[in-house]
Amino acid sequence: MAVDTPTIDTKARLRQVPVQELVLPVVIIALIIVGVIIRPGVFLTSDNLLNVLTQASITGIIAIGMTFVIATGGIDLSVGSVLAAASIAGGLLVDYGSWMFMFGALGMALLLGSINGLAITWGKVVPFIATLAMLTIARGLALWMSQKTPISLIELNILQGFGSGRLLGIPVPAIVFVLVAIAGWVLLNRTTFGRHTLAVGGNRSAARIAGIRPGRIVFAVYVLTGLCVGISAILLSGRLASASPVVGNLVELDAIAAVVIGGTALTGGKATVTGTFFGVITFGLIFNLLNLLNMPSEIQGIVKGALILIAVALQRRD
Amino acid sequence: MAAAGRRVALHIYEWGNNVVCSVQHEDRGGTEDRVEERTVGVSESGSPLLEVRGLVKDYPGVRALGGVDLTVNSGQVHCLIGQNGAGKSTLIKCVSGLVEPTAGEVRFQGEPLPVGDPNASISRGIATIYQELDLVPHLSVALNVFLGHEHKRGPILNRAAMHRETEALLARLGDAGISPMAPVTALRPAQQQLVSMARALSHSVKLLILDEPSAVLDDVEVEALFGVVRRLATEGVGIIWISHRLGEVAELGDVVTVLKEGRTVATELPPDTPIDTLIRHMVGGRMEALFPDRRPFREETVLEVRGLTRTPDVHDASFDLREGEILGLGGLVGSGRTELLRAVYGLDPAQSGEVRIAGRRLPPGRPDLSIRAGLGFAPEERKSEGLWLDWSLIRNTTIADLSRFGRGPFTDRASERREASRHLRSLNTQPDAPERPARQFSGGNQQKAVLARWLLRSCRVLLLDEPTRGVDVGARSEIYRVIAELAANGIGIVMVSSELAELLGFCHRVLVLREGHIVDELDGATSTEEDILRSAVPVHHTMKAG
Repeated sequence: MAVDTPTIDTKARLRQVPVQELVLPVVIIALIIVGVIIRPGVFLTSDNLLNVLTQASITGIIAIGMTFVIATGGIDLSVGSVLAAASIAGGLLVDYGSWMFMFGALGMALLLGSINGLAITWGKVVPFIATLAMLTIARGLALWMSQKTPISLIELNILQGFGSGRLLGIPVPAIVFVLVAIAGWVLLNRTTFGRHTLAVGGNRSAARIAGIRPGRIVFAVYVLTGLCVGISAILLSGRLASASPVVGNLVELDAIAAVVIGGTALTGGKATVTGTFFGVITFGLIFNLLNLLNMPSEIQGIVKGALILIAVALQRRD
Repeated sequence: MAAAGRRVALHIYEWGNNVVCSVQHEDRGGTEDRVEERTVGVSESGSPLLEVRGLVKDYPGVRALGGVDLTVNSGQVHCLIGQNGAGKSTLIKCVSGLVEPTAGEVRFQGEPLPVGDPNASISRGIATIYQELDLVPHLSVALNVFLGHEHKRGPILNRAAMHRETEALLARLGDAGISPMAPVTALRPAQQQLVSMARALSHSVKLLILDEPSAVLDDVEVEALFGVVRRLATEGVGIIWISHRLGEVAELGDVVTVLKEGRTVATELPPDTPIDTLIRHMVGGRMEALFPDRRPFREETVLEVRGLTRTPDVHDASFDLREGEILGLGGLVGSGRTELLRAVYGLDPAQSGEVRIAGRRLPPGRPDLSIRAGLGFAPEERKSEGLWLDWSLIRNTTIADLSRFGRGPFTDRASERREASRHLRSLNTQPDAPERPARQFSGGNQQKAVLARWLLRSCRVLLLDEPTRGVDVGARSEIYRVIAELAANGIGIVMVSSELAELLGFCHRVLVLREGHIVDELDGATSTEEDILRSAVPVHHTMKAG
């Protein structure tokens, strides 16, 4: 055994290198270089890069919440529909001002997130099915509450300030995304709740024996995702100056894709908020480049899908 | 009582314990000798059927095999014995191609066997029947037998042919009672085992490896299995029979090989080798100093269990535990020992009865509150229920008491590391590298991490389910020492064990369970293994045996 110790040490140290978290920054730098080469003078401007961050922020905030859900071994397919339902719930309170809009949007998102959590913990429905049901319920709710018509929020100046304003020259949604990402990182890596989330996702029965109540953690991560969706709904509605029942289509897939290429394991127990952040930025840069090259959106879909396949296939290597 | 003792002996092997088996041997000694005359030979080429030379297998941090030699001839029943963790399973996995050895050679019928290739082993006629049978539950017997090499007419399965051949194979195994059309879920474990063997025969097997085949069978079924194995050996099949039950060696085997700590310590032993000699080979003279001295416990009762019931496993269990007392729970597998422990902990809620710690009643089904009251639990399935194998030992140690490292909502990681390392070091966890993932530590050191978790939590009562399962012999005495020290510091210990020597070696008191009831209470220092067995064996079993 003594003979083997050095090799084990090197191997262990190699294994500790977070490959996923290193690969994505390299990819991001490569994308920036490519961008500089093909669109010199346009791509590498602070305006364009901030635009990337702003575009990515709506999905990005949701992806941070999704990281916690996936860390428990779950999935939340309902986030896109809940985004629409939250926007409409806020929109119905349009006459009471911006703060009431936010109250309505956050309230609806938290409510639907709680229902997801209850269905999964108390109702013992698997996350895939529970949130699939919520996907259609929330979309129906958004269409029904709005009578299928968008609600104008043009009167809500504060809300529009959140959606399209700037602070020190930086778009507010981009600032909020970065703040949510930092909060998410601290929550996952530096708090008891984060450790317990990973514990439940990694080994549920061991977690229970260690005195953790898995149901509470699982419930909490779906509520947390609801909170993130609510924040996104506020930023999105503010930017569009309207609440639409059809927004958020396929946002769930973008969020899950960012989490997965970031290196969070779909089986639970292993999660990285940093990875998710870089995953979001990677997708943002790619679409920005494709836009600058005037590629049609269907090409973007193909590229996105191919990227997910390659990323997950690479993950399976180790 | 003497007559009862004789019958008892037939069931002892349910313990899977070597020393227990020696009792069986004494009872059976000379009464029957069923080993039949058989031509034990070599293949036409003149080389043995299977030849293993210098086999080495390293896992990260653990050397599972450190040079194993084994020779098996056609028509021979070769018994492979050794303690848990001696390397028996790893050895057969290397032979069957599931595991690629680090070094060494495996020759089959004189030719080198490609390593790490299960198909190469199967196509040459090596079949392995594992403890966990690999049958597909809802498929029929015939489809299971021919799984992967189905008879077909064009693309369509030829069920008639498969049924016919399955019947023939089962008849060859001496059982006509199994319908080829029955789903395997409808069969008893013994019958399922025969189906597995029929599958092996369908591949025209030359070497059949049986991994603890008797563990799930009652004695009548074991006798039937012996018959089947003897018949196959007479037909010229080489057999490797792995077992904990030393009594089986004399009854069935032609030769015995003993593994210890990944090495062959004795091979080509005759089947009539005295059990004591076999045990000495298996443990290597370390048995004497295995157990620490019993130290006196205190007067204060720390745990009270009253009328605890969880049907169908636990009925009306009541006992007290003093501070510093080590209480053993003995009984056959399935007697409700583990279930009682889990009900006390609140993991599986009890339907009635109560558990009190220092007078405070614990609500059923709430391990988190049990922990808060001062209980700790080390489960039997350490890897699947006790640990996060990818986590560092530090994280594994602190998980039950993270909030104590809280600074506001955050975790103080420096003090987390300091405290965890201190407790791990106090238990002499080796190597002293608590940042490494738990996966890289041996069973004994993993167990220490689980114990350190509850030390950190400063618990008052520790519930231990088979604390030395998967811990090699050398490390066991250290686990015993740790447990005794915890008790000396006033922690009450309740310990489930299948090893009689363990229960009698250092427990103050032993409760014996039978079919979910506590049927006996014995003094650990003065009782004998036979005392425990007499209470542990169900009455109807003895009737059947007699």
